[in-house]
Amino acid sequence: MPTHQSNQLITKLQEQTETLLNKAIQEWQMIAPEKFSQQPAEASWSAKQCIAHLNMYGDYYLPAIEAAILKAKQHTAKKQFTSGWLGNYFTNMMQPGTNEKPTKKMKAMKNYISLNDEDSDKVIATFIDQQEKLLQLLEVATKINLSTTKVAISIARFIKLKLGDLLMFLIAHNYRHVLQAESALKASGVTVNENHIAEVSFAAR
Amino acid sequence: MEKSIAQLQKFTYSILKLDENEWNDFACIWQPFSAKRKTLLTAAGETEKHLYFITEGVQRAFYLHDNDKEATLVFTYPFSFSGVADSFLTQQPSKYYFETLTTSTFLRTSFQQVNELMNEHRNIEKLILKATSFALAGVLERQIELQCFSAEEKFRTLLKRSPHVLQLIPHKYLASYLGIDATTFSKLLGTVRL
Repeated sequence: MPTHQSNQLITKLQEQTETLLNKAIQEWQMIAPEKFSQQPAEASWSAKQCIAHLNMYGDYYLPAIEAAILKAKQHTAKKQFTSGWLGNYFTNMMQPGTNEKPTKKMKAMKNYISLNDEDSDKVIATFIDQQEKLLQLLEVATKINLSTTKVAISIARFIKLKLGDLLMFLIAHNYRHVLQAESALKASGVTVNENHIAEVSFAAR
Repeated sequence: MEKSIAQLQKFTYSILKLDENEWNDFACIWQPFSAKRKTLLTAAGETEKHLYFITEGVQRAFYLHDNDKEATLVFTYPFSFSGVADSFLTQQPSKYYFETLTTSTFLRTSFQQVNELMNEHRNIEKLILKATSFALAGVLERQIELQCFSAEEKFRTLLKRSPHVLQLIPHKYLASYLGIDATTFSKLLGTVRL
């Protein structure tokens, strides 16, 4: 299983979260709700649905992560973090595709599908709140053991992932759907600043 | 650090030009400091220990009412002084929180060091008095806006004064600064959106 330097891993996750947050603040906040809600095709999600889907994950995971962090012993951080096989599998599943190997299509769980009926500004505001919260949690996570701290996954509460794996999965999932939101925006004629999203690889070196 | 000190000098001299020896003493009391996004620098109940000079980033001071409603009092950006001004000057506990909204870099100094220089140099005392006077003028003018202006007037005044904030600051903080709810803010934004 891939092994990471814990502090480098957290720094990378913080940078990735900053990038997504900056997109929301610098670009999405100024996009007209009609465009943010426009579905590129009947069966594909609008940018708003992509972000609302992420918010639903955040609604479950941010409190769960916070509770796990509060319960964990402070100053127990380990230099290295090794992924568990399941955590690694989930994170890899979220990887954005390449030209040779396109993004794997997946079906979202029924309870995590947005009907495109929320207020666009509210969806963006919630996303911003959640990413701000996530950054604060990542900062606290630098002080605790990323392996022994565990969080139950949303679709099967009896399965627990190592905090380090969960954070990697959650942020890879955010990244995946932000990319999807961007293509929906492009399809509705919005100019997207692609420099904001640097090429991000979640694979361990 | 050198570049920041040069910015500090430029900013300071725009308030009051100091003599060379006064400036040399003043330039010596600052240390570089940086903070990530959403870092709480001063909490309510603490006494403000520092005077900040911002070189990068956006910060805000806010009041937390009944542990629930936040009132954003002020945003600060480069290049200017920052911190909880009243608590710093009176060395009494702050009623307000002071936090970064984006990753920020500063120069900062302590009350003790500023106070010593104010006792030593008449001009440095004058500098602090003048800076405080400008801040007071700003606070009183904002008081008028809060009491007399409609939501739309407040929104338009903000855009005229600081158009860049719409793409720099989450809108919930802007709405809180103007004292209007998020839905009203969205409606007003609709009139200026492309």
